[in-house]
Amino acid sequence: MKKKTSRFLVFAAFTVPAFAAILVSVEVPFLMSVLYSFTKWNGLDRVPLFIGMANYTEIFLDDPDMMRALSFTFQQTFFRVILTNAIALLLAVLLDGEIRGKNALRAIFYIPNIISLIVIGYIWRFIFSKGFDSFYEMTKAPIFMLSWLGDGDMAFGSVLLVSVWQSIGFYLVIYIAGLQIVPRDVIEASMIDGAGPHSRFYKITLPLIMPSVTVAVFHSLSNSLKSFDVIFSLTNGGPGIATTTIALDIYKTAFVVSRFGYGTAKSVLLFLLILAFTFFQVKMFKSREIEA
Amino acid sequence: MKRHPSTLIIDVLLWIFALLYLYPLLLVVINSFKTFSEITTNVVALPKSLLMDNFRNAFRLMEYPRLFLNTLIATAIGVVGVIAVSALAGYKLSRTKTKYSWVLFIILIAPMMIPFHSFMIALVKVAKGMGLTRTPMGLGVLYWGLGAPLALFMYHGFVKSIPMELDDCALIDGASPFRAFAQVIFPLLQPVTVSVIVLNAMWMWNDFLLPLLILSGSKKAYTLQLAAYNFFGQYKIEWNYAMAGVLLTLMPAVVFYLALQQYIIKGMVSGAVKS
Repeated sequence: MKKKTSRFLVFAAFTVPAFAAILVSVEVPFLMSVLYSFTKWNGLDRVPLFIGMANYTEIFLDDPDMMRALSFTFQQTFFRVILTNAIALLLAVLLDGEIRGKNALRAIFYIPNIISLIVIGYIWRFIFSKGFDSFYEMTKAPIFMLSWLGDGDMAFGSVLLVSVWQSIGFYLVIYIAGLQIVPRDVIEASMIDGAGPHSRFYKITLPLIMPSVTVAVFHSLSNSLKSFDVIFSLTNGGPGIATTTIALDIYKTAFVVSRFGYGTAKSVLLFLLILAFTFFQVKMFKSREIEA
Repeated sequence: MKRHPSTLIIDVLLWIFALLYLYPLLLVVINSFKTFSEITTNVVALPKSLLMDNFRNAFRLMEYPRLFLNTLIATAIGVVGVIAVSALAGYKLSRTKTKYSWVLFIILIAPMMIPFHSFMIALVKVAKGMGLTRTPMGLGVLYWGLGAPLALFMYHGFVKSIPMELDDCALIDGASPFRAFAQVIFPLLQPVTVSVIVLNAMWMWNDFLLPLLILSGSKKAYTLQLAAYNFFGQYKIEWNYAMAGVLLTLMPAVVFYLALQQYIIKGMVSGAVKS
């Protein structure tokens, strides 16, 4: 009996610190968010007012700004997932070959990924304004005279460009790691059988690195759906609200206009969206993975 | 293997692409050495002289040493705490093969699926209630629970590869469970610990949103990223100061990266694949 108690105490001593930390920083705030999402709460009131589903109905029936943010985020996510993964995979395949200085190249593509997103956004603000002015002076190419951050449609492209530019290095590294596991003998056997580079890629390499594709698409999907920092410093959601993402909209709802209850409802919706999207993505991609 | 002539073309194209890729960063470096009027006339041209004034001014105006220290405190407290709580729990949960242990494990790693933005509003309230706002120390403590789920998951998996006999030997020799863990097991977890350090240090050092939420209004506690954001807002027109500020802000992470490149890439991959 005594031994059992002391075993339990040791177990508790090892696990309670982690449990407490996770409760404080994630689980309690998350459960509170779910509860607050059914209330009207301005952050100052001691007791938030219970209003049932009113916040959720407002999101869908009476909040064109949030609808705009949802649609912007989905469109960005669509293009970002495809572009980052396509470019990163292409670069990985090239860098997996006999390229001079491939380690240096890999390091170069990774550099933007170690700079904070807030600084990345600001650097590109400089490039789009001052940099492009000078490029225009030199080349007279009209593309540099366009309003890259001032026009809604252009800003969509600018945000996309910066996000893809920043994150390629990360996905490149995942794909390179995946390619290194592809067994050489399988590749060689296919070459002996006369498979060209294209069919070799689609029929052999791609199926074998599907686990890396699943991981990379998962990360790009969830990172795009919750993107915040780059936009905060690059456009701050503008012009108007043209580049406001869901996460930025949540931030502004809570901390700029002080509608905390309503903000938590949006944040619970974001959680459900990311969960649903990534769940289906992983399920769909997993079914295509094969054993080497 | 014989080199195909077309690989030379791919080499050249890749290198051109890589240089274009880094060009925006090169422009930052170039312009941080220029005077204000040099930037206004031409961004692309090289600076006339290697002027250090921008750095001196940005360093002073940002109050850089304090920002560096604040960020270092938050990051160090965060990283050490994440390692401590998750190595202990990951080890014990991996060794205890009961139903309850499994349930607790699931409860502790489930937060990996919860995006930060979906609970940040209430987190601010919790942090305020616990007195963790407005100090870099409090910020560091808040990182513990945010970083622990993934780290715990990584430790939990790795411990399985360490034979149980080692624990038993240490315990028979009369070591307490803590000493057995600290002196025998923990050193063997080093590969995971390195990945956890790299993943968490890079994230905490570069994090912006949590410091924004937790430290707003108390300038003395600002981290580098948070202060940089304010600095850029303040010196909108003086691009020369701003560019020097950008360089000062990204320099520590870049130096860390260049020094530990192998570990960083390995750590990032293992973190990405495991989650």
